[in-house]
Amino acid sequence: MRSLTLWSSKAPIKFRMPTAENLIPIRLDIEVDGQRYKDAFVWNPDDPDSEVINFAKRTVKDLKLPPTFVTQIVQSVQAQLAEFRSFEGQDMHVKEKIVPLKIDLRVNNTVVRDQFLWDVSNFESDPEEFARTLCKDLNIGDPEVGPAIAVAIREQLYEIATQSVSSLREARAGKKGRRGADTFNRPGNSALDLVKYFGSKGSVIRKRKDWYLYEPIVDILSNEEVGALDAREELNARLKRKLDEKE
Amino acid sequence: MATPPPPTGTLASAAPATPPPPPTGTLASAAPAPPPPPPQSPHTPSTSAVKSEVHAAEAAADSTPIVAAAAAAAAVSYTITIPSCSGWFSWDEIHETERRLLPEFFDGRFSSRNPSVYKYYRDSIIRQFRAQPWRKLTFTEARRGLIGDVGSVRRVFDFLEEWGLINYTPSAKPKERREAAAAKEEEEGETAERKEGPKRLCTNCRSVCGLTCFTTDKADIILCSRCYVRGNYRPGLSNFKRVDNMEELKTEWTDKENLHLLEAIVQYGEEWKKVSEHVGSRSAKDCVVRFIKLPFGEQFLRPIEDGEDNGPNGSYRSNDEVAAEHGGESLKRRRLTPLADASNPIMAQVAFLSGIAGSDLAEASARAAISALHKVHIEKSKFTNDIKLYSKRLLRRHNHSSRRSNKMWRNHYQILLKSR
Repeated sequence: MRSLTLWSSKAPIKFRMPTAENLIPIRLDIEVDGQRYKDAFVWNPDDPDSEVINFAKRTVKDLKLPPTFVTQIVQSVQAQLAEFRSFEGQDMHVKEKIVPLKIDLRVNNTVVRDQFLWDVSNFESDPEEFARTLCKDLNIGDPEVGPAIAVAIREQLYEIATQSVSSLREARAGKKGRRGADTFNRPGNSALDLVKYFGSKGSVIRKRKDWYLYEPIVDILSNEEVGALDAREELNARLKRKLDEKE
Repeated sequence: MATPPPPTGTLASAAPATPPPPPTGTLASAAPAPPPPPPQSPHTPSTSAVKSEVHAAEAAADSTPIVAAAAAAAAVSYTITIPSCSGWFSWDEIHETERRLLPEFFDGRFSSRNPSVYKYYRDSIIRQFRAQPWRKLTFTEARRGLIGDVGSVRRVFDFLEEWGLINYTPSAKPKERREAAAAKEEEEGETAERKEGPKRLCTNCRSVCGLTCFTTDKADIILCSRCYVRGNYRPGLSNFKRVDNMEELKTEWTDKENLHLLEAIVQYGEEWKKVSEHVGSRSAKDCVVRFIKLPFGEQFLRPIEDGEDNGPNGSYRSNDEVAAEHGGESLKRRRLTPLADASNPIMAQVAFLSGIAGSDLAEASARAAISALHKVHIEKSKFTNDIKLYSKRLLRRHNHSSRRSNKMWRNHYQILLKSR
């Protein structure tokens, strides 16, 4: 049984997503001959590699993209999978961390902004279930919002997991020089200090003045606003690309 | 112009009662009853982003208001048809077929892949399709609206498509569309997928049945051998009968082929490969089938089965003789029963014919067949003579063998009688 002290989970475990199912977020942003394909979805790394090619072919067929996209999609997905797999053999620390996750996305006409606390050490957590419930509770009509939320959560969790791997590596490297107790004590930049919140003086009920921070906001934009935002994003992307090319 | 935004949050297949007609000329339409409520963003051509616009919005937007309204109205009363092999489907439950073919959701290995998640995928996909049943729902569209990993969504999607629960009607086959149009309302549309005539389609996988099909009385379906073996049919079906597709349905044997066949048989005997070469345009199997079907065909089986004990034909004929002598009709029938319910239709036919036709009748029919063939137009007279020769030889053989086997079986039968 897992004890609930802060120091309990010292034993490192193999890298994986801190969720019930080891699914990883994949983000695609491919441009070929002026045609842009942006997508984000959740992928199961245990699926065979043939699945990647089939998925790419199917997507290209369904969206009627030119066939050059197939190889691009395959490459992109495989690159992200490879990056995930490169972490897989390594150890990561399971810290009792409760981190705030942020959602700030726009899908078609819907803008969702939210912030909530997530227990990173809970390996039974299910971002998909959370996203489904959130959409249902907020009466979000567009079904494409849900997957975007799930992907956003997973991306943040992935980030945290990879950070814990690298921090563990650093700690091990640094152990030779000094005692590594510091890294275990420090809850991390964004994690909450549990002692402060749930200690003797704290309470689980959030202070009223903080409510607005954690309230989800859902906006439905009009078409003109969407058009304006799209144009601005496109401009930014183009500028960024130009800058990258220059470097 | 103020078109109210479409009702959010529902993937219901029923269109709202009064679908607002979209304003012509602009793309900002409140398309009625789209699967996901339409993203109202206009397709600004400058953004070359390939957005995941639902095609419904475009289609409805580009069309005139009347057509759109009609389409919406049609969406309400559109007959959804599914193949009868998927009749088990119900919104409220998960069927055994689903549990069997998509075990990942039901074996408890993954806590996030459970029956309720499966039901959510399944119901969403089907609802999305049924909102626009004239269109083929693509996997990408479906998975974009589903929260989950694309691998499992794909498996559910493929399963539903395979079983005709989605993307079933708008197929290229004109016959299926006709049938779909004529089908009854609601889900239990008994689409008669079986085509009467030479070509048979498996109700399940909709592939052309090759050599053998399986059919049952309980349901009006045909299964190809693969589906039957795999069990890809709804449970509760039993008593499958094997039906061999007769190649003659495709082409009739010409007289020339018949002649060649007989010649070859006499010449080569049981070597069907050589027989088929001699016939030319028929495979060995075709030749055997055809030969057995010939009216006097089974008579030729007897000389071959001489060596066998309890050769069915031999015993039947001896029974005939004995029956004539002793009048034991019941014995013949008793001997008949082992073969009478043979599932193999060829054997059943042989049993039937040989049981019914006595040796005299067989002889008579042989003669009649020969004379009929004799009348057939033959190019060279040589064939005529050959036929006469062959048939005489055959009759002689038949008589010889029958006499021989009769004696054998008569003795055998008498011994049996005495032993009682």
